[in-house]
Amino acid sequence: MTTSADQFWYQTEEALAEFPVNVRLYRDDFYSQPTWDVYQMRYTSADGATLFAWLSVPEGRGPFPAIIRMPDYGSVHDIVYTPLRERAVVMNPTFRGQRQSDRVYQAEFPGLLTDGIANPDTYVMRRVFADAIRAIDALSIQAQAQLREIALIGSGLGGALALAGAARRRSIHAVAANTPMALGNPLSLESGLGYPLAELDDYIRLYPEQRDAVAQNTADLDPLKIADKITAPVLLSIGINDKSVCPLIFGERLADQIPNCDLRVYQGAAEGGGHEHAQIQLSWLADKLGIG
Amino acid sequence: MATQQDLEDFVTQVTCPDDFDDFWGGTLEQLAQISLLPVVTANPLRSNEDVHVFNVTYLSLGGLEISAWYCVPTKGNGPFPAVINFPGYKSEPPVRRDWAKQGVAVLSVAVRGKLMSSAEFNPGYPGLLTAGLESKETYGYRGVISDCVRGVDFLHSRPEIDPERIFACGSSQGGGLTLITSALRPEIKAGVAGYPFLCCYQDAMSMFRSYPYDELACYARAYPDEEERMLDVLRYFDAVNFAPRIKCPMVVGIALDDEVCPPETSYAAYRALTSHKELWLFPNSGHGNAHDYPAQERAWLEGQIGLETVTS
Repeated sequence: MTTSADQFWYQTEEALAEFPVNVRLYRDDFYSQPTWDVYQMRYTSADGATLFAWLSVPEGRGPFPAIIRMPDYGSVHDIVYTPLRERAVVMNPTFRGQRQSDRVYQAEFPGLLTDGIANPDTYVMRRVFADAIRAIDALSIQAQAQLREIALIGSGLGGALALAGAARRRSIHAVAANTPMALGNPLSLESGLGYPLAELDDYIRLYPEQRDAVAQNTADLDPLKIADKITAPVLLSIGINDKSVCPLIFGERLADQIPNCDLRVYQGAAEGGGHEHAQIQLSWLADKLGIG
Repeated sequence: MATQQDLEDFVTQVTCPDDFDDFWGGTLEQLAQISLLPVVTANPLRSNEDVHVFNVTYLSLGGLEISAWYCVPTKGNGPFPAVINFPGYKSEPPVRRDWAKQGVAVLSVAVRGKLMSSAEFNPGYPGLLTAGLESKETYGYRGVISDCVRGVDFLHSRPEIDPERIFACGSSQGGGLTLITSALRPEIKAGVAGYPFLCCYQDAMSMFRSYPYDELACYARAYPDEEERMLDVLRYFDAVNFAPRIKCPMVVGIALDDEVCPPETSYAAYRALTSHKELWLFPNSGHGNAHDYPAQERAWLEGQIGLETVTS
């Protein structure tokens, strides 16, 4: 049976197929380091939107494993340092509206989560998920570095995008998602949550007649609806006190539905396992990518 | 992980310029010549039964319009105590309804370069840390710090705010700006600086390879002939040099596994404080992610403000 979420993803793939990826790379001499090169990467997503990513490539011949760090909910996705950078290609893609992908549309934070939400055709977040898929496609076809396995990582919205990416692209080898955003799940519409999910309640409070539209137009993005399609192993971290991104009960349900999921539950809030989990994730990724 | 002994053994290379006070005195004089021209606009989307949320703008150095979120309790007539919240390097300022619900007004400043204040100054991220490094007069942080000072002026000008109960907090860059602004504005009665950035630039840029400090290392590598001048400029913006000028109680929170703001550099700022001070050390925690920090920050500020601690 074809579900609404299946239909959404079918339409999303069709929208992506309308435009060639058209990857362009420009070496950034300022930020390049002695042991890795940094590139400014641009490519085309659905609706012809030009997106930006930071790409780093280790010195040497490769092929290299690769890590895509999906963007979290905010305007900046920077060149975050990871010690794996010297052994893996690292891509930090942005979605439409974030800095450097904002020539046509500039997102607001808070604000993005409800921008255009009254209509599925105008709801920007549906295209944000398309942009995440496009990042995987762009990395896969770039010619600068020869690649081996690709892992996806991300926190908050980035965690949800990483899970979606793994569900849609079977080439993904591993996923490390921290506190994936519950956008689309009915729990995200409850009042009393913190930002960013509180944006939904703000909107419903001001426009109560739109409550059903909000529920319907976000529902296809619920990570629970694609969780069973993820074939890669997933390291999932959540915090028991999280009331703004990934409520505990949502995270536990998600773990139940992902076929190969290693769930780690911490005492934290939206920061999940914080530093402790960051070390675990680093080792886990290095192991999965064969660079331990 | 750094140990407390590592922190105590660390000696910064940063020195204070002889004309430090003159430079900042001149900047504050320049600011005083610019009308604040505050505009306060209700935001019904973010307001609820407990909190009025407003979009605020005011003018700052160079006549730039700076934006902020302003949360004011709906219950009670005031005057309310206020907290000014300074933003991190890359994050947008938060809408702090949580405190406002407890009776505390909160101003979250979008310093220049943040989305809401980027029309005339937008160096990007990365980029802010090296913008205008040619001289102390042109360095971007001269404007950023001025924007924070003007935020205090805004609160001080408001009839609904108790001018004797203005407090400050922030983490990372917000922590550094808490220290710096508290030194420049005695109207701030106490502050909490978490994981403070903007401390001991000269040391920090060579201790780790993580951003934002690595922007400075990239700058020095790209322009080796300019490094000495860059380091001299940065001395005027180093929280270590502001710390002895702070008169109010101050907390510095440090994560001992911080790989963004080296713990030793944050500790150097703490050590330089001469006012009443507290040190919070978080072992096994990294930058911005100590589980206990938010609750401690809140409880300490509520104590300073005179509220009963409310667990959120």
